Amino acid sequence: MNMNKIIRVASREFASTAMTKGFIIGALVVPAVMAALIPLIAILSAAAQPSADKGTIYVLDRSAEVFDDIESRLSPEEVRKRWEDRAKRASDFAKGMMGQSGNASDGVEQAMNFIKTPEFRVISTAPDADIEEIKTEIRQQLTSGVELDDPMQKLLAVIDIDADAANKSNDSKGYGSYQAFFRPKLNEETVGEIESGVRWSIRERRYDNAGLDRDQISELASIEERDSKEITEEGERNESSGIATFLIPVASLVLLIIATMTGGQYLLTTTIEEKSNRVVEVLLSATSPMELMTGKIVGQMGVGLSLLIVYNSLGIAALIAFNRLDMISGQIIILFFVFFLLAYFMLASMMAAIGSAVNDMREAQSLMTPVMLLMMIPYFFFMPVVRAPNSMLSTVTSFIPPISPFIMIMRVSSTDPPPPLQIAAVILVNIIAVFFFLWFAAKVFRVGLLMYGKPPNLRTLIKWIRMA
Amino acid sequence: MSNAIEMNRVRKTFGAKVAVEGIDLVIPQGAVYGFIGPNGAGKTTTIRMVMSILFPDSGQLSVLGKKSAVESKDRIGYLPEERGVYKKMKVAAFLVYMGRLKGLDSHGLKPKVMDWLDRVDLGDVAKKKCEELSKGMQQKVQFIASVLHNPDLIILDEPFSGLDPVNMRLLRDLINEQHAAGKTVIFSTHVMQQAESICDHIVMIHEGKKVLDDTLDDIRNRFDPRAIHVDTVGDADRSTAISAAPGVASVRIHEGIHVVTLDDGMDKQHAMQAIMGEVPVSRIEIKRPTLEDVFIEIVTGGNASGDDEQVRAQLLAGSKETQEVGS
Repeated sequence: MNMNKIIRVASREFASTAMTKGFIIGALVVPAVMAALIPLIAILSAAAQPSADKGTIYVLDRSAEVFDDIESRLSPEEVRKRWEDRAKRASDFAKGMMGQSGNASDGVEQAMNFIKTPEFRVISTAPDADIEEIKTEIRQQLTSGVELDDPMQKLLAVIDIDADAANKSNDSKGYGSYQAFFRPKLNEETVGEIESGVRWSIRERRYDNAGLDRDQISELASIEERDSKEITEEGERNESSGIATFLIPVASLVLLIIATMTGGQYLLTTTIEEKSNRVVEVLLSATSPMELMTGKIVGQMGVGLSLLIVYNSLGIAALIAFNRLDMISGQIIILFFVFFLLAYFMLASMMAAIGSAVNDMREAQSLMTPVMLLMMIPYFFFMPVVRAPNSMLSTVTSFIPPISPFIMIMRVSSTDPPPPLQIAAVILVNIIAVFFFLWFAAKVFRVGLLMYGKPPNLRTLIKWIRMA
Repeated sequence: MSNAIEMNRVRKTFGAKVAVEGIDLVIPQGAVYGFIGPNGAGKTTTIRMVMSILFPDSGQLSVLGKKSAVESKDRIGYLPEERGVYKKMKVAAFLVYMGRLKGLDSHGLKPKVMDWLDRVDLGDVAKKKCEELSKGMQQKVQFIASVLHNPDLIILDEPFSGLDPVNMRLLRDLINEQHAAGKTVIFSTHVMQQAESICDHIVMIHEGKKVLDDTLDDIRNRFDPRAIHVDTVGDADRSTAISAAPGVASVRIHEGIHVVTLDDGMDKQHAMQAIMGEVPVSRIEIKRPTLEDVFIEIVTGGNASGDDEQVRAQLLAGSKETQEVGS
């Protein structure tokens, strides 16, 4: 094999694939635009929230003791305060997930600019008011369809509270309850806010009536939450749960698949193109089939590698931005490239063999189906492998090429990587498999390139291997 | 002088089909050899084995003194029958790439490519994409790719197919130029006239076997049909009168011309004079064997009969077909 010729073929292959506008736009610009769009989409979807409900709530308080609590609970200041708290908790939770601590108030303030809180005016009706009359009032507002001068005049709900809602009557029936009537098409949050306000008010009043201290009850009911820890060989660490544990293995798997598939797919296309263009025999006058195939595989490896480097850098930049660089290590990055090469060489062998055996893309489809199914397998194993990176299933599938590198990348990037000796053994098995795949591809490639006509089936392929 | 190519009992099969059956062949350096034979005779397979693109099932082969062409690829120029270009590549870039693949240094390669393009009147398309070229232009580009690296051995598989007469002449001149420079040239064709006009040595392949391997002059002597064509004044059948001339073995009429076969040992000049004495002649000539005739004689085993015309028709049909496809 002539190294110079391989390099020649490889650099042409790389240049004709990666140095095209289509590739640069498709592979690099599109993800960059996507990354820029995600925050924009988040902002837009927040802004696209339905406008908050504003209006009046009538409370028919037959017990005559719950109304004050409801009024204060649903006052605009209280509602807004609760919504801010909720946003802050969500933001804290998200940051805790990504491991960034600190004051999150900036984010909450920003978020609150987008979130529109509902606004209520709570009015108590006369204790002997007719509930049907109020309902009719809502109905009238709906049928007339006239815009109200003051939006607060809009009737949102009527709450009918039982006389014994907070105070048990002397018979043994227990506490009464309440009945809410809503205007249709209110936001879910509005309904939730009103209902929970009423329930809270009734409950608090019951504590009072039973002679219990409200503060004491809330103190009794709350238990402070602390992060659980895992005890490991080296010490202890935060319990591996939530998105973070899944994030790195999944991202690694997807990245590995994208990088190998891109290189492999281009290899298939260029091989078919060379064959159908009949340029292949001209090339074979200057190179041997092995040199040609090696050059092409190496060239497309460059394409896959450049994708990998770009995407990896983006990923690492993202981790730095979230201050979670500890989630990956140099070792993982090195293994990433090792598993990429192993996976790519196996896939590329199959692609080169298919590309050389068929006459056009359409014929390639039928031979591609099994390869595509093969590439789907790691997706099916993703949940069980990430949940239990060292289970029997994970270990066994790690030793089955060509899916082995994909399973392994999930395992090594998980929080519970396999022991180094096993990693080494898997790599060794894959190296042997790579040689087998390349040997197979070389045989098919040599014979297939100059064969035109009916695309081969498995039997003819085996015949070719014997022939070469 | 050593030999450019030596083949010894080379055989190649594709499944049950025998493509090349035990060919022995020696081609000396500096010769111009023509491979002729009908479509599917095994010419391309033989050439592909010389190029080490295919490998023989049995037999020995050496190219430029090496065991196989793999070791001497950079000294061989090859224009395959199945030839193509990278459609999206620019013409000059494609030729530079091919030159680099053939082991040429990048230094001075570009001017060399431009020089060659100018020589075949393609200087103005250097920056065009290959797909914008006509088929004939692409073929000239491919010819440049095969000689760019100044090879010692040039193998051209059907180099003339698809060329117009002007470009055919241009290509013939370029081939003759390579020959004059001492290069070994081998080309295959199934159009016999082309072989006659360029080659000094003919190898004929039929059904995977070598059926002829000789210089053009020797072939003409050996396959002297000992026949005289006589066109008489008027359309009448003069066979009987001609038969009366001494030394005439038989007379038959083919396309309105009397084809006279002579007795062995009969001097042609004497026979012509005798015939002219018997009948009024408007044209009389000694028949020169064409490669076509030779080929047909070999294929039919010398017994010219009804088969003769059939084989000839087959042969001509074959060449016409390719010419049409090419044009």
